[in-house]
Amino acid sequence: MKFLVRLLRRNEGKGYWVLNARIYSFLLWGLTNPKVLSPELTLSQMLRIGVQALPMASLVALSVGFILAMQASTELGKLGADSFIPDLVSLSLMRELGPLLIAIIVVGRSGSAVTAEIGTMKVNEEIEALRVMAISPVRYLVVPRYLALVIMLPILTIFGNCVGLAGGWAVCAGTLDMPTSFYIKHAVDRPELWDLYSGLIKSVVFAHIIITIACHQGLNVEDGAQGVGRATTNSVVFSILWIIISDAILTGLFFFVS
Amino acid sequence: MKNPPKKTSDSSDIILEVRDLVQVFNGRAVLNGLNFKVRRGETFIIMGGSGCGKTTLLRILIGAQKPTSGSVRLFGQDITQLDPEALDKIRLRFGMNFQFGALFQSMTVGENIALPLQEHSRVDPSLIEMVVKMKLELVGLTGFENFKPSEISGGMRKRVGLARALALDPELLFSDEPTSGLDPVMTAVVDQLTLDSTRKIGVTAVVVSHDMTSAFRIATRMLMLGSGPRQGEIVAEGTPDEIRNNPDPFLQQFIRGEADGPIPLRLSQDDYLKHLLGDG
Ligand SMILES: Nc1ncnc2c1ncn2[C@@H]1O[C@H](COP(=O)(O)OP(=O)(O)OP(=O)(O)O)[C@@H](O)[C@H]1O
Ligand SMILES: [Mg+2]
Repeated sequence: MKFLVRLLRRNEGKGYWVLNARIYSFLLWGLTNPKVLSPELTLSQMLRIGVQALPMASLVALSVGFILAMQASTELGKLGADSFIPDLVSLSLMRELGPLLIAIIVVGRSGSAVTAEIGTMKVNEEIEALRVMAISPVRYLVVPRYLALVIMLPILTIFGNCVGLAGGWAVCAGTLDMPTSFYIKHAVDRPELWDLYSGLIKSVVFAHIIITIACHQGLNVEDGAQGVGRATTNSVVFSILWIIISDAILTGLFFFVS
Repeated sequence: MKNPPKKTSDSSDIILEVRDLVQVFNGRAVLNGLNFKVRRGETFIIMGGSGCGKTTLLRILIGAQKPTSGSVRLFGQDITQLDPEALDKIRLRFGMNFQFGALFQSMTVGENIALPLQEHSRVDPSLIEMVVKMKLELVGLTGFENFKPSEISGGMRKRVGLARALALDPELLFSDEPTSGLDPVMTAVVDQLTLDSTRKIGVTAVVVSHDMTSAFRIATRMLMLGSGPRQGEIVAEGTPDEIRNNPDPFLQQFIRGEADGPIPLRLSQDDYLKHLLGDG
């Protein structure tokens, strides 16, 4: 593992895929020597990213649950198929909307913050100072953030799914007089385990995209404050773009697999 | 006492050796074929006008930047050829005090100084805390552990940078204008710190300085980089006495701090006109 780290260090700061490879090499090395992964830093980043995004993620998830149930009730109502609303809400949330929307929220809150923070450190010579102290900026700054987001985004997504289901329930119970027990039974019974997993796989991929793009943009800032602004914009735009593209690819893959 | 022991034949004594160093930026040679050596225990001052390339030179010496050509031997190894792994080993042996501090803004003063210790030593946290207090006391900042860099003054930041550079008790200290922006008393304190480190603990110091009083106070050897027509070359090198008695008008103007002399600051009347009219 150490060999890999060593090999990749020679290509320091040279592009997106090298950064990816360097993150993996530290993660692999961390398997045998957990101290490499700086557990304390990871934990504090997890709290920051998780707690930061919680209020907004809940609000969005609740609204989406609402919207899904209401849109479904007008159309399914015409067919007399109101009883399928819970199925529809829970399937759409788990497979698609939960992972996607929570990821987009996290891009706006945490991805941009990470780029701005690392970019400012670059401008302020702090990254340089780390290197001169023989501390790898990738290990010290990037890896903890990577781990934190890859762990937190799926957790936030599960949480968002639950809140979204509650939103759907509010509509069903409030306007359609659907019994709560009926709603819960259908919302929970209908999706298979794979539906949940496929959503979680997506959110891990999204987390990877968000944090690698954010860190890469931050580490490559040039031209002072203006450069930080430009990098932050790039970080958000590229993340959202690649999240949606990879979502399409993954959805296609899952479609053909199952 | 002031002059270093002259042991020119003993090469193991040489801690830093620069050969034919060239740095070109956008077609302009900022450093043009520098050669010099620093011996163990010396306090080596680098002087020169603003923008003449002192920080650039220092960045090359610490391996933060690869020169266009030439070699830099630190502790006997050419750092321009080393792979990052080996360079890291060398980096543990020296400390760098940046011109603008380069403190970690998100950490407190204490955490800044503790970071190299946490990362590179296996000592107990309580011991690290003690070392932090000791280093802060050295630079006259006792009690400021919990301040953020944004909450202290520029001069205080410089001193925190110095304390951080000394955290791992390096054999070699690079310091980029450690006393600029400090009041006379604080300048004396920082100078005394450099003197104590070099004379008592045997640290070698390579210090960039504009402040001539302070430079002559601590130097065992000095080097002046040229600017203007002499950009990139070494104007003079020697002991403080040799520098004082060097008749070079360029050097004399610099150490006396005079506005008139061979150091070109302004354009001549004709050149100025040409420059304004855009055909210079
Ligand atoms: N990355 C760079 N790209 C292009 N030119 C640079 C770069 N870094 C430095 N320079 C140029 O090199 C010259 C020397 O800069 P340097 O920062 O080394 O000066 P200095 O001697 O430290 O000045 P000061 O005393 O004001 O700190 C300047 O003219 C600057 O324009
Ligand atoms: Mg400088």
